[in-house]
Amino acid sequence: MFSFYLQKLIAAFPFFLEGFWVTVWLSGLCIVTGTILGFLVGLLRISNIKPVKFMAGFYSDITRGTPFLVQIFFIYFIFPEFGIQFEPMEAAIVGLTLLNGGFICEIVAAGIEMIPKGQWEAAEASGFSPYQRMRYIILPQATPGILGPLTGQYISGIKESAIISVIGVMDVTRVGWLTVQRIPNGLLVFSLVALFYFSICYPTSRLIARFEEKTTHREIIL
Amino acid sequence: MITFESVNKWFGDLHVLKNINLKIKKGEVLVICGPSGSGKSTLIRCINLLEPIGEGRIKIGEIDVHDRQTNLTELRADVGFVFQQFNLYPHMTVLENLTIAPIKIKKQKKKDANEFGLKMLKQVGLIDKANSYPTQLSGGQQQRVAIARCLCMNPKIMLFDEPTSALDPEMINEVLDVMRNLVKEGITMVVVTHEMGFAKEMAHRVAFMDNGEIINIAPPDEFFNHTTNERTKTFLKNIL
Repeated sequence: MFSFYLQKLIAAFPFFLEGFWVTVWLSGLCIVTGTILGFLVGLLRISNIKPVKFMAGFYSDITRGTPFLVQIFFIYFIFPEFGIQFEPMEAAIVGLTLLNGGFICEIVAAGIEMIPKGQWEAAEASGFSPYQRMRYIILPQATPGILGPLTGQYISGIKESAIISVIGVMDVTRVGWLTVQRIPNGLLVFSLVALFYFSICYPTSRLIARFEEKTTHREIIL
Repeated sequence: MITFESVNKWFGDLHVLKNINLKIKKGEVLVICGPSGSGKSTLIRCINLLEPIGEGRIKIGEIDVHDRQTNLTELRADVGFVFQQFNLYPHMTVLENLTIAPIKIKKQKKKDANEFGLKMLKQVGLIDKANSYPTQLSGGQQQRVAIARCLCMNPKIMLFDEPTSALDPEMINEVLDVMRNLVKEGITMVVVTHEMGFAKEMAHRVAFMDNGEIINIAPPDEFFNHTTNERTKTFLKNIL
């Protein structure tokens, strides 16, 4: 029986590859958009202007404080009631971007706030513009501290992307759901699904760990 | 060169600068001393707008520092600021610390900035440390690099906020020596320090601050030997 299922699963493999490809490019895209959004909101998060800081905090609290499943339901099923209509794939992109952005903005803000006040003052006293201060002095120092938690968020973002299968996006998890109805061996089918996720999450964490080693500046205290 | 006109500043309810009127001439070396919390650091931080002021006016030449129209980038490029904690950029080598501002702000060519940076490093006696990182240097060396970093912008004014207070005693002199050389070059300097030896020897005037006020300001000989001001006398007795 097992080998019969296995054969059927092998026959369905191209179908899995298609779903896997959707998972890869969708989570990849939303990591990029989420990172951009997260950096922008993260900078607003440390702003001195109170309403701006509050709005940024409100956004990150909502995305971090509610389940992603509920968020995607809001975007796909509730937003149309207010005239904002999305295709499943669009809803997935919007949802995952907002989710990643919400976590990444906190990571970025925390990383920047770790840089001592003296560094800001030295840059200010030298005459750097606010943009130059960020670009040349603060961000390069904050980056090593940001990378670790950022990797965690990227991996979590890839795994959370499984949830968008509920609104009909044909990712690898949804392929698993459809396949298990024809090949009634859940262990076999979902082990394959899990393996697909693992095959991108693990290398991602290794890759960034290596990058992190490279960018961490010397910390020899005399 | 630097003029304070009735400057007042508050931190909340705390009146930290009380009606400061002060003129510092071009090429003058002014040493400011006083107990901690007297407002002396705040005073020099106001000169390049690291702190805003509440009332009054501070002018560098004819430029009103705290006017919104003032081009701060240009102004700050002319004013070097040396911090107690050095504040070198730890992710850059010593030479990069020196050249980043000339390259990015004054748009100098990298080659020219490096050449000038090395010259300044030579002046502070650290030419062999050009490619080291700040954390590999001792405190005294870091402070000398911080001074060289300011010099790379060719400043007209140098402000020192307790430059030797974070240093081990044996490193204080190497920093003071660099400062003595600057005095000889005729650069305008305002120095907040407890190094009374430096004040006696190098200052044109010494000011004593207490409770946000300049209580006493005089040439060193008069300040140290002939002052009639009681609070200055007590302070000097306690630290000398």
